[in-house]
Amino acid sequence: MDQPQDPRRDPRGGRALTPPELRDLVADTLAVWEVAARPVIADGAVVLVAPDGTALRITAAAPNDLPIRWWLEKPDQKRPCTSVTGLLRSLRNAVGAGEGMFSRVKVARGA
Amino acid sequence: MIPVAVLTGFLGAGKTTLLKRILRDPAWADSAVIVNEFGEVPLDHDLLAVSDETFVSATTGCVCCVLRSDLGATLLDLARRRAAGEIPGYARVLFETSGLADPAPILHALIGEPGLTGTHRLDCVATLVESVSGAATLAHHPEAQRQVMLADRVVLTKPDLAPDTAALRDAIAALNPAAPITQASFGALDPAWLFAPAERAIDPEPWLGARHTAGVATSIILREAPLPALALTLWLQALAEHAGPRLLRVKGLVELEESPGRPVALHAVQHLVHPLEWLDQWPSEDRRGRIVLIGERLPPHWPARLLAAIEEEVRSASAG
Repeated sequence: MDQPQDPRRDPRGGRALTPPELRDLVADTLAVWEVAARPVIADGAVVLVAPDGTALRITAAAPNDLPIRWWLEKPDQKRPCTSVTGLLRSLRNAVGAGEGMFSRVKVARGA
Repeated sequence: MIPVAVLTGFLGAGKTTLLKRILRDPAWADSAVIVNEFGEVPLDHDLLAVSDETFVSATTGCVCCVLRSDLGATLLDLARRRAAGEIPGYARVLFETSGLADPAPILHALIGEPGLTGTHRLDCVATLVESVSGAATLAHHPEAQRQVMLADRVVLTKPDLAPDTAALRDAIAALNPAAPITQASFGALDPAWLFAPAERAIDPEPWLGARHTAGVATSIILREAPLPALALTLWLQALAEHAGPRLLRVKGLVELEESPGRPVALHAVQHLVHPLEWLDQWPSEDRRGRIVLIGERLPPHWPARLLAAIEEEVRSASAG
């Protein structure tokens, strides 16, 4: 008898983040940026209020939206993100954390 | 490849005393010495009594702030003169930092300077901590904390003046639980131990019980399954992008899906990643992947959560 499958899980094990997992990642990342904002789950989305008072909402994109994986919504804008790293970059701008610590990884030259 | 060892420690930790004693050992007399003194008048050359040819005193400022590029030029110039027979041969370079130096930029130079990585090899970072005031120094000076955090080995100096070093050892272990600690009076220490190449294999056990001291966070990621190489690359980029200079060091041993059975040793100082080193096999029965991160004011679960999110996305994209 077939076992019920997690619709988020693909045959190789990849799956979308659950809302609690996304909330925890966003909370930690906000702490890294030293931004005072508390993400919570509401209606399956992760929502937070930026320090300037802007309401932000993060939702997983529908499978048919690929390559879009995430939506970052502000009251007057819905921004598509194709990866979780892209989502974090967009969120960083949205909460006003800027790019003060931006550094690109650099690989040292080998022998 | 010319081995380079970095000797660091806060002001008054006893670096020059130790170095002087080491250079008196015939087995270590064939060392080139670079000393970064923070001040206009160089003193250490006289104190160390080493030959002019293989001694370089850098007195224009703290090397981590001013001389990073000069350090590469100095090492290469020494190597060129050695090859040309202009100076006596030397077996290694011992680099003494100023007491106020943050070692991270120095390590950047040693593992990332173009031209240097083909001729020189960073073997280890040895950090001296003075027993009498070491705990207070660690509590109040971020430079001293970073010197300990980046150490491969730690030496407690002047233990004769403060025999009870338990609290200091705890403070050091909170910053860097993996670095072995020994003690030495008047520089009496086996240099072969102090400057031996740092272990490549990462033992996760000391880090599992790590305490966090003020502002410093240690994270460890243990993995049973191999990791897609792309996920590792994207994760390192994301760490650099978001944590910036607050991510101090990443060390790890992980298996990549693309290279089964051959783990790779991962070393990074801030955003500078040393080329991955493929091992022929796991160094022990423990075949878990393990990555240790040391950073300042970083949430302890953030690196693992970030890696998990990126990995799932990479797997999902591969499957699609």
